[in-house]
Amino acid sequence: MWKNYIKISFRNLKKRKLYTGINLLGLTIAIVSFLAICLYIQHEWSYDRMYADYDRIYKFNQEFVSQGESQLVSSTPSSLIPTLIEEVPEVETGTLVFDMSIFSSVLIDAGEGNQEENSFAFADENFFEVFDFELLSGKAAQVLAEPNQIVLTKSTAERYFGDAATALGKALKVDGTDYSVSGVMEDFPSNSHLEFDFLASFKSHRHGKNPEWSPSNYYTYVKLKPGTDVGAFAAKVEEVKEKYLGKELAEYGYSTAFHLQPVTEIHLGDQSLGSIKPGTDIRYLYIFGIVALLLIAIGIINYVNLATAEATERNKEVGLRKAMGAGRGQLFGQFVSESMLLTFGATVLSLLCLYLILPKFSAIGGVPLSTDSLMNPVGIGFMLGFILVVGLLAGMYPSLILSGMEPIHALANKTKMGGGAWVRKSLVVFQFFVSMGLLIATFIVKNQLDHMQNVSLGYDRDQVVALTYHYSMKNVAETMKSEMLRSGAATSVALAGDMPVHIKAGYKIFPGGDNQRELMITGYSTDEDIVKTLNLKVLAGSDLDEKDVSRAEGAKTEVLVPIILNESAVKELGWTPEEAIGKTVNFGFSNASIKAVVGDFYFNSMHEKIGPLGIFKDTGNANVILVKIPAGNPGATLASLQEVWEKFVPERPFNYRFIDQEYAQLYRSEERVGAVFGLFSGIAVFIACMGLFGLVSYVALRRTREISIRKVLGATQSDVLGVLSADFLKLLALSAVLAVAFGLWFSDAWLEAFANRAQVGVWPYLAAVSLVLLLAMATIGYRSWKVYRINPSKTLKSD
Amino acid sequence: MIQLKEIDKYIESRFQRVFILKGINLTINEGEFITLMGPSGAGKSTLLNILGLLDEDYAGEYFFGERNIRHMRDKERANLHKSEFGYIFQAYHLIDELTVYENIETPLLYRNVSSGERKSIIADLLDRFNMVAKKDLFPAQLSGGQQQLVGIARAIAGKPRVLLADEPTGNLHSAQAKEIMEIFKELHAEGTTIIQATHARENADYGTRLINLVDGRIETDETI
Repeated sequence: MWKNYIKISFRNLKKRKLYTGINLLGLTIAIVSFLAICLYIQHEWSYDRMYADYDRIYKFNQEFVSQGESQLVSSTPSSLIPTLIEEVPEVETGTLVFDMSIFSSVLIDAGEGNQEENSFAFADENFFEVFDFELLSGKAAQVLAEPNQIVLTKSTAERYFGDAATALGKALKVDGTDYSVSGVMEDFPSNSHLEFDFLASFKSHRHGKNPEWSPSNYYTYVKLKPGTDVGAFAAKVEEVKEKYLGKELAEYGYSTAFHLQPVTEIHLGDQSLGSIKPGTDIRYLYIFGIVALLLIAIGIINYVNLATAEATERNKEVGLRKAMGAGRGQLFGQFVSESMLLTFGATVLSLLCLYLILPKFSAIGGVPLSTDSLMNPVGIGFMLGFILVVGLLAGMYPSLILSGMEPIHALANKTKMGGGAWVRKSLVVFQFFVSMGLLIATFIVKNQLDHMQNVSLGYDRDQVVALTYHYSMKNVAETMKSEMLRSGAATSVALAGDMPVHIKAGYKIFPGGDNQRELMITGYSTDEDIVKTLNLKVLAGSDLDEKDVSRAEGAKTEVLVPIILNESAVKELGWTPEEAIGKTVNFGFSNASIKAVVGDFYFNSMHEKIGPLGIFKDTGNANVILVKIPAGNPGATLASLQEVWEKFVPERPFNYRFIDQEYAQLYRSEERVGAVFGLFSGIAVFIACMGLFGLVSYVALRRTREISIRKVLGATQSDVLGVLSADFLKLLALSAVLAVAFGLWFSDAWLEAFANRAQVGVWPYLAAVSLVLLLAMATIGYRSWKVYRINPSKTLKSD
Repeated sequence: MIQLKEIDKYIESRFQRVFILKGINLTINEGEFITLMGPSGAGKSTLLNILGLLDEDYAGEYFFGERNIRHMRDKERANLHKSEFGYIFQAYHLIDELTVYENIETPLLYRNVSSGERKSIIADLLDRFNMVAKKDLFPAQLSGGQQQLVGIARAIAGKPRVLLADEPTGNLHSAQAKEIMEIFKELHAEGTTIIQATHARENADYGTRLINLVDGRIETDETI
């Protein structure tokens, strides 16, 4: 029986080429998108599940509480893990990772000059006991056990030594210190939250010799013994903390706590915590998942609509089969097998397409994806289940309609088919609602992204280049600065602790006298040229100059440190800019006087409001040299900057970044959402229009005779278009109304995450709706033109 | 075998009922070859449809053997329909997507006949109607008469006791029509009950009983 069903289905599909083509193409595109998104979600979901005992591995986060304000950070003191291993029996092992790239880049010299590296970490000897990454050479227990040992990843080893196999035992210099390669490991998998090019033994680091309870600069991981009660373990951690830190903290009025986080929750967990690799906001996974389901729904709807519309054509067949004794179940089976066959074909095609487009999609999604995870028993089971579910969903309703037709009506060739019309209409409305809704969402996201790229940040981010500064350059920095200015490659140069796009350091400020307010304030350590370099707007007071003392000197000599506050800071302190000038404040536990007030500028992503900011002189913590370059010919300018650089610090590679590009980096995940929305809304519109084309074709076919008669009676082409499009336009209008309502909700919900929101206005709505309407009209128009061109004598004579 | 009591069939229009059949009382015995005649619109096809369980929307009683159709469950009625009736249509109504062989096979599939048995039944039928060479052709490749032969083969493949034929020769020229009627005669001789609706008086001569329908009523009912 099934063989027969499949055979007949196959012939039916072959016979009706338009119908099959539309369905196959629509389903294939939908399934490709669906599978690609599934692979992406699966990749994000699989993070940190490849370690043998991943369910027993936890990371510590540390919470600081002071005066009712609590702050959670992802790093902990270096004493934590040795103490826990020593004192808590539940701990099987644990390790500490010190990510250097947070602080500065590292210079590596393997005999061919210095290379600047940004993915360098120290880890203690237990690292490979906790995380069982594969070592290509070296023994897990030994590779990080001694000072000055370093493990390279395979591709790093190849980069430096040409061949991973020969790297073992080779020597290299890290910031001038000798290390020897003790092992080579496979590259970190793309779905591990850990990712470094170099892992040096923590014992090599000056802080590695004596564990301390402060500062908290280290990532700590613990592997618990099997069967450990996590709650009881957490209580013991609390005891250890009390024992070593309790008294000291109580004195300062602080409290702290160490919280356990399963290693598998790092990637999708709290995104405000610092991490080695940027995580993924789990809400985006949900959004992508919903988009994937919506696309499949649109593909299925095409099938349902076409199959029910086409039922009219098939009622003779149904009637006959019934007359010959077919039961409803048997007919149902036959029609469902048709949809199953189609789904199966579409899925096979999708897999082929997926092979081709996956590299491209990987680039958009920002993760390496492959179809490998589909080519295993679980993946194949998933696909079979998927085919079954989609085939059934697509085939069920049309099959019910078809198999339920009365044979007597069918045979009498009464082609009127009332049933299903309203279902078909609602499905069309749904399809175009989704298409327009996604498009509106895309435009709203795009609008906000454009806004963030174009809005005035309060400083000049164009023509500003950041060079890497290292503290070893402190003696030449001043002369290098003046040389850059002299060479004409720079109009202004400033050293700074951070890029202006993302300033992190937190301080406290207490205004003196009767003003009792205490404020959390972000501190920006720079030199006297920052205002000029970034073109900040001075509202009151005067810019810093060479004679002003730095914060470090000020602390030593008890001289008032001159600082610049931003407008928000003085406002929160209760002053106008003019009043603030000359006031003395306690800034980060040293006394300072306010020398100038500058206009607010965005020193963080626009998700956050502009907070209080204090700018002070201190080049001791500088990480970047900000260079304002003259307009025009950046290539030549960069070349002369490099010339200057090589004169002063020939041992350090010349690397530069443009500030505006760094700024764009802040919104990478939004850009990605925008790109994914854009791509899939386009796909949704396309599939829906294809379905519409199919539907209109059937309507046109059924009404060919009517249209011919109208034409004989003098109907013009636009009259025919009107006849064919009137019903659909009503449906599209309803979709548009629903989509706009969705868009209004979406813009509220999504833009809530931004402190600085773009005005949405009407254009995203107008553009999305009119674009889809235009495409739909073009679809209908093409079809009606074809019908109109049919010579009436052809259609009318056969009667 | 079949007994109809006071069968009415009507269409409710806005102001009145339009009767298609009115007060039909009819007893059909096993082995009869009945011809229904009458002008267009007299109700011949409607009556055939009712007899063949294709139309259940009527008033009155229908007994098949001892049993009242109305009191049967859907499943029983479907089984009765499958096992007892074969249909032949004026326009042949073959399934265009299926070959001759597959068209004949279809009713057997719905009766869950095993594959071996199906093969032998179809082989016999093809042989009987001299269609062996054409078994892999599609309906569009056959002449009208050949299509109707396939239609008959399909109708009798399931070995029904009652064969219902609605204008079986209506679309055929006389030589082909004669051939078809000869086959009916043979089937009748083998014991099949046949009920045909026709316009052509000469076809009635093959039968044993002639019923004239006019305006939905039985006008005459005579044995030939």
